[in-house]
Amino acid sequence: MLFIELIAQGLVQGSIYALIALGLTLVYGLLRILHVAHAALFTLGAYVGVLVCNASGSLAVAFVCAAVVAGIAGVLMYRLAYQPLLSQPPFVALIASIGLYIAAEEAFRIVFGAQGLSFTQPSLQGQVTLGGLQFKQAELMVMIGTVAIIAVLAWLQSRTRVGVACQATVSDPQMAESFGISLRQVRDINFFIGSALAGFAGVWVALLNNLVEPTMGSVPSYKALAIIVLGGLGSVPGTLAAALVLGVVEAFGTIYLGQLLDRNAIAFAFLIAVLMVRPQGLFARR
Amino acid sequence: MNYEITLLTTMAISVIFALSLNLITGFCGQISLGHAAFQGVGAYAAAMLAKAGWPFFATLPVAMLLAGALGVVVGMASLRVREDFLAITTMGVVFLFVGVVRQQDWLGGELGLSAIPDHGLGKTGFMGVTLLACVAVALLSIHIRRTWMGRVFNGIAEDEDTMRVLGIDVPRYKLAAFAIGTALAGLSGAFYAYHLQFIGAENFGFIESITVLSMVVFGGIGSVAWVLIAAALLSALPAWFQVIGDYKLLVYGGLLFVMMRFSPGGMAALARRLFNPMATREGKS
Amino acid sequence: MTPADTKQALLAIDAVTVRFGGLLAIDNVSFEVREGELLGLIGPNGAGKTTMLRTITGVVRPTQGQVRLDDKPLNALPTHQRIRLGLALSQQLVRPLRGITLEDNVALAAAKAKTVRPLRALLHTSSQEELGLARRELARVGIESLATQSPATQPLGVLKRLELARALALGPRLLLLDEPLAGLNSKEAHALAETIADINRQGVTVVLIEHNLGEVLRICQRLVVLDNGRKIGEGEPRAVMADPVVRAAYLGSDEQEARHA
Repeated sequence: MLFIELIAQGLVQGSIYALIALGLTLVYGLLRILHVAHAALFTLGAYVGVLVCNASGSLAVAFVCAAVVAGIAGVLMYRLAYQPLLSQPPFVALIASIGLYIAAEEAFRIVFGAQGLSFTQPSLQGQVTLGGLQFKQAELMVMIGTVAIIAVLAWLQSRTRVGVACQATVSDPQMAESFGISLRQVRDINFFIGSALAGFAGVWVALLNNLVEPTMGSVPSYKALAIIVLGGLGSVPGTLAAALVLGVVEAFGTIYLGQLLDRNAIAFAFLIAVLMVRPQGLFARR
Repeated sequence: MNYEITLLTTMAISVIFALSLNLITGFCGQISLGHAAFQGVGAYAAAMLAKAGWPFFATLPVAMLLAGALGVVVGMASLRVREDFLAITTMGVVFLFVGVVRQQDWLGGELGLSAIPDHGLGKTGFMGVTLLACVAVALLSIHIRRTWMGRVFNGIAEDEDTMRVLGIDVPRYKLAAFAIGTALAGLSGAFYAYHLQFIGAENFGFIESITVLSMVVFGGIGSVAWVLIAAALLSALPAWFQVIGDYKLLVYGGLLFVMMRFSPGGMAALARRLFNPMATREGKS
Repeated sequence: MTPADTKQALLAIDAVTVRFGGLLAIDNVSFEVREGELLGLIGPNGAGKTTMLRTITGVVRPTQGQVRLDDKPLNALPTHQRIRLGLALSQQLVRPLRGITLEDNVALAAAKAKTVRPLRALLHTSSQEELGLARRELARVGIESLATQSPATQPLGVLKRLELARALALGPRLLLLDEPLAGLNSKEAHALAETIADINRQGVTVVLIEHNLGEVLRICQRLVVLDNGRKIGEGEPRAVMADPVVRAAYLGSDEQEARHA
């Protein structure tokens, strides 16, 4: 029984990671930038979600607002921060991103206070029993939602013009441009979708913990960086798989290796171990 | 006077730490997001030995050796992965370090190691030692750059495939850079332990790693003089800006972002533009 | 037995096959490079010439077959070790180190002995000897006057010569040149080809990949022809060029180009 419980726990956590990692892989796949500031969009979404929900009473509206605000903020980040730095070596964008993230975290603290915000009336807190396991409603919803979103995205990527265009801009930007694909549009769309997902994930986490605080984005986003490496850059299904695997590995690891390593260490030990055996990542295409 | 002495010591330790990373990142082009782990190894080594009764100066070489040894291991691991994964692998190293140390009671566990014995040099004496070490490390960096090792490092940083074609054993040189850089980080860690007389795993985590990386980048990767200045300034930032104390991280983050956006070569590039606008780009400070 | 047969085989390509996924880049190619000769490796575009060169230098691992230097198998050796055994490469897409001057570029190659190990490199600061050697090589290729310039401001002709000087500074026994004349006008190409012939006369074995057939026919003593990864001709230049199979390969590709135009 413990076994299955652990797997379930892992899948829930993995779903959250997947939502965050997805945005990151879309960006990294496009631009080869380690978009650390992605974490700030996660936190931003959480704050917006809580504020809107408390003000309007509707969780659905809160989700939409959070996603949209995060999405727009993400595109702004791209335009203001990354686009001008595309011709520089990659560490420049990385450090710029770090600077952005530190400043953003601080801005949240200054504006919203260090104590954090909570939902006045958190919904989806009820318990659900499924196959002998207890879940919070929110936990189930997160898993289902994540799989649904990712399925949609994977479909979009391979079946629609926009999706194929995205893939083309990753593998051969110049060629893509000569076919009339607007690099700018594609990148804007990618950033919007990825950032919106992060914001969306932020609201879920806020719901699960009933708490939003300025530093909540840091740990998930470090792990998201590990996940995109594991999952194969730019690969949507790969990222989902890697995220879920990581969630489950963490769940088991904290139980069996908890004496030796803490949770983050387990995640990164797994990453390093995988990279030593398969330097190109778990699900790399090439 | 006491306050200034403490501040200068802190700055000296930060400068040593930053210069050690400059060797890896600046001279050899390897982006490490986990450098604090090596400082941590040095700190814990020195602290444990000090508590076991070892004299101050004896703990230093051991700290350097252990940190350097771990550096070689990490270096060998990082050689296996692609360049863009290197950053994430080094990030993994520092999380591993913190995660492992935190769970070990014999290393102080979550509470850390306290009551680290005194070095016996007095506050001023200790400051003198750290300043001396700081100068020594800077001179060493400059010397390395003047040797063929430094020239090879520069080449590797610019175009490692071409270096292979010139007969350079690139992996070996990268390992050398890692070994020296991490050993020096260990030295800064040992000083750190004696300076604060209390250390915890969280003092050597991811945030500290990117802090020191930003000092190197802010100064200008590869430039010994400017990295020194940047590290000294940024480590003293909390002190300079007591008045904006509450906003200091905001300023720090903003500074980083603005610098990268407008002068990716750091202060070194700014200085070059100001004082030497006609010169072509050289690999010197 | 002609004098040519008694010459030592410096480099042996032994039944080499290179496969990239589904693509067969090199198909069971064998030939020798004899000590002291100037061998031309020619063929239409996409024949596999550059891949062959990369297999020799170690950038590419053969799927089958062996590359031997002095009878010593090279397959397991990384590029830098092959360089230290006496190979040198001048690349088609020039890659000078832009942060340092031309003479520093060449000096880096000249410092081969000092850079063999990091520890040894750490102990040597002086570059007098290497700069002297660098200037000599730069003079050999005719660009000594630009020694203190930065590569960033030099035209292609100069950079091609820099590639050659850098390769020469390694003191190689076997010099591999990948299209050194590409992008040069006919006067520059002729001059550089002369320089290469001179270098060969001074005792350096040369393998030359080139499209500029005029110069190739003039300076090469022997040719090996590749087409679509296979060797389709080998021998004395005039005889090879008269071979109908070789002519068809070149003209065939021209014909195809004409059809697509």
